Amino acid sequence: MGTRDVIILGSGHNALVTAYYLAKAGLKPLVLERREVIGGACVTEEFHPGFRSSTLAGSTGPLLPQIVNDLQLQKYGVEFIKPAVKVCALNLNGPALSIYADARRTSEELASVSSRDSAKYPEFVTTFERIGRALRPLLTLTPPNIDAPSKRELWNLGKLGWAVRGLGKKDEYRLLRYGPMAVADLAAEWFETESLRAIVAARGIFGAFAGPWSAGTCGQVLLQAANDGSVIAPAAFVKGGMGALTQALAKAATEAGADIRTNAEVARIEVADGRVSKVVLSSGEELPAWTCVSSHDPGITILELLDLSEWDPGFRTKMQNYRAVGTVAKVHLALTALPDFLNTESANADCREKLSGRIHIGPEIDYLERAFDAAKYGEFSPQPYMDITIPTLTDSSLAPDGAHVMSIHAQFAPYGLRYAGLRPAGSGVAQESMPEACVPEAWDSRREELGDVIVNELSAYAPNLKKLIAGRRVLTPLDLERTYGLSGGHIHHGEMSLDQLFAFRPVIGYARYRTPIAGLYLCGSGTHPGGGVTGAPGFNASREILKDLKAG
Amino acid sequence: MNNKYDVIVIGGGHNGLVNAAYLARAGKRVLVLERRYVLGGAAVTEEVFPGFKFSVCSYVVSLLRPEIIRELDLPRHGLEILPLDGTFTPMPNGDYLWRVNDHAKTRREIARHSKLDAEAYDEYGKAMVEMAHFVKPVMNMTPPDPASLNPKGLLDLLTMGRRFQKLSSDDKYNQVQLMTMSAVDFLDQWFETDVLKATMSASGIIGTFLGVRSPGTAYVLLHHYMGEIDGAFRSWGLSRGGTGAISNAIAEAAREAGAEIRTKTPIAKILLRNGEAKGVVLENGDEFYADVISSSVDPRLTFMKMVGEEHLPEDFVDDIKRYKFRGSSGKVNLALDALPDFKAMPGAGPHLRGAVSISPSVEYMERAYDDAKYGRFSRRPYIDMVIPSLTDPSVAPPGKHVMSCFVQYAPYNLKEGNWDEKREEFGDTVINTIAEHAPNIRDIILHRQVVTPLDLEREFGLSEGNIFQGELTLEQLFFLRPAPGWAQYRSPIKNLYMCGSATHPGGGIMGANGRNAAMMILRDKK
Repeated sequence: MGTRDVIILGSGHNALVTAYYLAKAGLKPLVLERREVIGGACVTEEFHPGFRSSTLAGSTGPLLPQIVNDLQLQKYGVEFIKPAVKVCALNLNGPALSIYADARRTSEELASVSSRDSAKYPEFVTTFERIGRALRPLLTLTPPNIDAPSKRELWNLGKLGWAVRGLGKKDEYRLLRYGPMAVADLAAEWFETESLRAIVAARGIFGAFAGPWSAGTCGQVLLQAANDGSVIAPAAFVKGGMGALTQALAKAATEAGADIRTNAEVARIEVADGRVSKVVLSSGEELPAWTCVSSHDPGITILELLDLSEWDPGFRTKMQNYRAVGTVAKVHLALTALPDFLNTESANADCREKLSGRIHIGPEIDYLERAFDAAKYGEFSPQPYMDITIPTLTDSSLAPDGAHVMSIHAQFAPYGLRYAGLRPAGSGVAQESMPEACVPEAWDSRREELGDVIVNELSAYAPNLKKLIAGRRVLTPLDLERTYGLSGGHIHHGEMSLDQLFAFRPVIGYARYRTPIAGLYLCGSGTHPGGGVTGAPGFNASREILKDLKAG
Repeated sequence: MNNKYDVIVIGGGHNGLVNAAYLARAGKRVLVLERRYVLGGAAVTEEVFPGFKFSVCSYVVSLLRPEIIRELDLPRHGLEILPLDGTFTPMPNGDYLWRVNDHAKTRREIARHSKLDAEAYDEYGKAMVEMAHFVKPVMNMTPPDPASLNPKGLLDLLTMGRRFQKLSSDDKYNQVQLMTMSAVDFLDQWFETDVLKATMSASGIIGTFLGVRSPGTAYVLLHHYMGEIDGAFRSWGLSRGGTGAISNAIAEAAREAGAEIRTKTPIAKILLRNGEAKGVVLENGDEFYADVISSSVDPRLTFMKMVGEEHLPEDFVDDIKRYKFRGSSGKVNLALDALPDFKAMPGAGPHLRGAVSISPSVEYMERAYDDAKYGRFSRRPYIDMVIPSLTDPSVAPPGKHVMSCFVQYAPYNLKEGNWDEKREEFGDTVINTIAEHAPNIRDIILHRQVVTPLDLEREFGLSEGNIFQGELTLEQLFFLRPAPGWAQYRSPIKNLYMCGSATHPGGGIMGANGRNAAMMILRDKK
C-alpha cells in the first residue's frame, strides 16, 4: 500500500470536486459509486419514457466560481441557464408575484402590490449583497479547531471579523440579530406583502425540519446570501439537467487523473492501528487505502461503514445525536403540454417566462408554518409548501417536442410517519409513557397517497394539470435514503441548524473534514458549509487532505 | 427645593426598587415613583378576595441574586424564602412523574419510568451545573458592545472568549447547544421518557412565544441549576407573604438607605431639556427633577410614551418598535375551600406542596403552542400550579387555600374577539383542563381571578402582556437587549437609564438588572 492510494466514497458533486483537486495535485484518487450512474443527488434520470429530470437537486447553489474556473466546466459542455425570473409565487385569490434577477424590474412588479415594499426592495437587495460579500470568505474557510485554534485560524477569523466590521454598525447589528432569528421575523421586518414575506421565508426552511417561526432559520438565508449575494435563491439550472454538471465534473476529474468505478458498493472501511487501511466492497473485493474520503453523509460514514466501537465512544454518541430527519419529497410529472397556470393560456410568452424560474406555492407565512406543523407529529402536510420547476421551458432536451417536465420539491414529508398504536419499547420504558412511533417504512404504503395530495393541491392552481399527466414519479424521504443513500432522507446530509453549522458540522472537534481515524476524511454536505450544489465542502476538504499529505 | 433629586426611579417593581436601594446606599437622593397603589410591579401580593392573598403575577422565586439578598440584608427586612419542593406531573393514563429536591428519591422515581434516564439524570445534572458556573458571572456583567472599539468592551469579550476556551470540548458543545437548540432536541440527547422531557422543557417556554420544539428554548433549562449552585435556596422557592413580600423587603432596604418611595404617582412624560432628561411630570401635573432618570418600565412605555419618538434617533425608534413583546401567558388565581384531589395521586399528600405541572407529553406542549401561533389561546394549555397556602398559611383563611395557576399559551393578539370577551372562556378552559386530572376542582372554587395578557398590560404596565418586558429570544439577549448598541443600561437620551427586565439579563425576579444599572449610573456620575 502506498501513501498515494486515495479512495473517494460516492460520486456526488462534492466527491468529484475533491477528486479533481486531489488528482490535480498528482494523486490518483479512485472514486467508488454504488449506483450504475454517477452524480449522487445531482443526476438527470429518465423517469418516464422520453422524459428526463433532475431527480433530486434541481438547481445549483450556485457552484463556487473558482470551481467553475479551475475545472473549466464550460469546456466540458456545461451550460448554465439563468432565467430572468428567479421565482414566481402563485396565489389562488390574487395575481401571481414574480421576483426577477433584475431588482429594478422586481420593484416595478411590487409597485402594483405595495408601494412601501416596492421602495424597500432595492435596499433589501443591496443590504444582503453587502452582508453576503462580507460573509463569502466563510464558505471556503476551514472551521477552526475550537479547543486550540492555530495562529493562522485566528488570523482568518480576524480577517472575517474585520470584513464584518467594515460593514458598519448598522449591518453589524443586523448580522448579530439575524443570526439566531426566525426567518418569519426577518421577512416581516422588511416587507408588508404577505406573499413576498413567504417567498423570503421559504429559503429559510428549504429542506429543513423547521417552520418560518423556528428560531435560527435566518442562518440558511444568510448562507444563501454568502453564496450568491441574495436571500432569494436564484433559479440556476444546467442544460441537460443537473446530471450534465456531474458528468462534466467527472470528465474534468478523470482527465486530471482520477479513476471512477460505478456499481461498486462499499461494505465497510477497515482501520488498522488508528489509521484507515482498506475499503471493502460488498462484492468482497478489498481495496487498500492510505487515505479514504467519504462524500456520504456523516451518519452512514461514521455509524454504518465504520466499526467505531473501540474508537472514541464520545464521538459516536455525538454522531448518534446528529439530527438528520428529512422533510422533503420530490414528485416528477411527465406532461403532454404546459399546464394553464396563472389563470391564463400558458401558451403566451409572458406567462412562459414567469414560469421559467422557480414556482413557489405557499402564499402566507402561516401556510408554511402549518405545513411544518404536520411534520412535528409524523404526518405529511395536507397543504404542502412547494418549490416547482418546469426545466423544459428553458431546456427542450429533457422531453419530447411540446411535452414538458415538472419537478416538485414538496415539504413537509417527514422521514418517519406516525404509525397508529405502534409504540417503541424503549429500554425498560413504560410503553404508554412513550409517544407513538414514527416509522419510515410506512411510506411504502403511502407513497402514492402523497403524490395525489400534491397533484390535487397543484390542480387548484393549474386546473387542467391532471389531464396532462402522462407519467408520475414520487420520491419520499425513504426513497431518498434507499436509492440515493441520504440517511434520514435529509437532502442536506443533516439539519442546517445553528448547532450543526460551521465548527459544529457535523460535530464539535471534527468539523475540519477530519475524523478520529487518521486518513479518513469527510467531504460531503455534512461538513461546512453544508448542503446545496456549491461544491464548497469538497473544495475545502481537498485542501485539508493535501495539507495533511504534505505534512506526511 | 424639595422636588429635586439625584435620581428618579420610574416604577416600583423589584428591579426599580433594587436600583433605588443601591443608589441610595451610595448616598444618592432617590425618589421612586410607582403608578399603582401598591409596590412590587409584577412581583406583588394583593388581597384580591377578603382573606385570600394572591401573588397575582409572578408566583415563585428562583433567581433572586444571592449577592443582592446579602448586600441589601433582605432577611432583616422581612424576606423569608420557603422551599417549594418538587414538581408533580399527573399523566392521562393515571401514572405520574414526581421529581423532588431529594436527588436519590427523584432518581428512583425516574428509574420507575426508565432505567437509562435515571442514569442519564446524574450526568445531566453534573453537565448543567458546569454550564451554570460558566453562565453565572455573565448575569452580573454589563454587556459589551461588539460593534464598538471601546477597549473595555473588547476586553470583556476577550475574557468571555477565554473562559469559553477553558471549558472542556464537551462543555463547549453543551454551551453552544444550550444557546441554540430547542429544549426537546437538547433533552432528546439525554432522556427517552416523554413526560420527563415534556415537564423539563416546560421551563424553556415560560413567558416566550415559542414551543418546546423551537430552537433557543434549551437555554432556560439552565436557570433551574442556577439556584442550586448559588446555594441560597434550591431551584424554586416561595416567599412568605407572597411574592410582594420580596418587593416590600427591598423597599424597606431602600427606605432605610434614605430613598423616598411614592405610590399612586402615574408618570405622564419624562421632561427633557436640550435633549437631556431632567425630570418627570405626573399625570396630575406635578413635576419632579433629577440629574438621572432611571426607568424600570419597558422600553415601549419609556421611549414611545414617556419620551416620544420625535426626541429619539430614527434607528433607535425602529429598534424599539421592532422589539418583540408578544405576551403568551396568563394567570388564573383561585380561592379554594379545600385541596384539589388528583386522580394520579389522591389525597392531600406532599406532592401538593410543590408545583403541579400539566405537561403530560411533548406533543401536548407543542399542540398548545400551535393554537397560539394562529391567534387563539390553547384549547388544552400548559399549566403550572402552586398552592402557597400549604407552606405559608398566612395567605389564606384557616382551612382555606389559594392556588396560583400560570397558564400558557394565551397570545396577546387574538385572531377572533378580544380578551375582555374571552376572559371567562379562558378561565373555564383552564379549570376544565385541571379537572381532567383533579375532577373535584370545580366544586371547591370559592373565587376565581383570571389575568389575561391584556390585564397584564393595563394593570401592570407590561406591554402586550409580556411578563419579561420583552421576549427572551437570542436576538433580544445580552448585547442586543433591548436594542443593539443600547444594552449598557444607558439610552440615546443623556441621563436617562434603563433598569428593568428589558435589559440584560432579562426577566424573572433576579434583581440583577436593577443592580447592574445602578453600578453603571454610579460609574457615569462619579
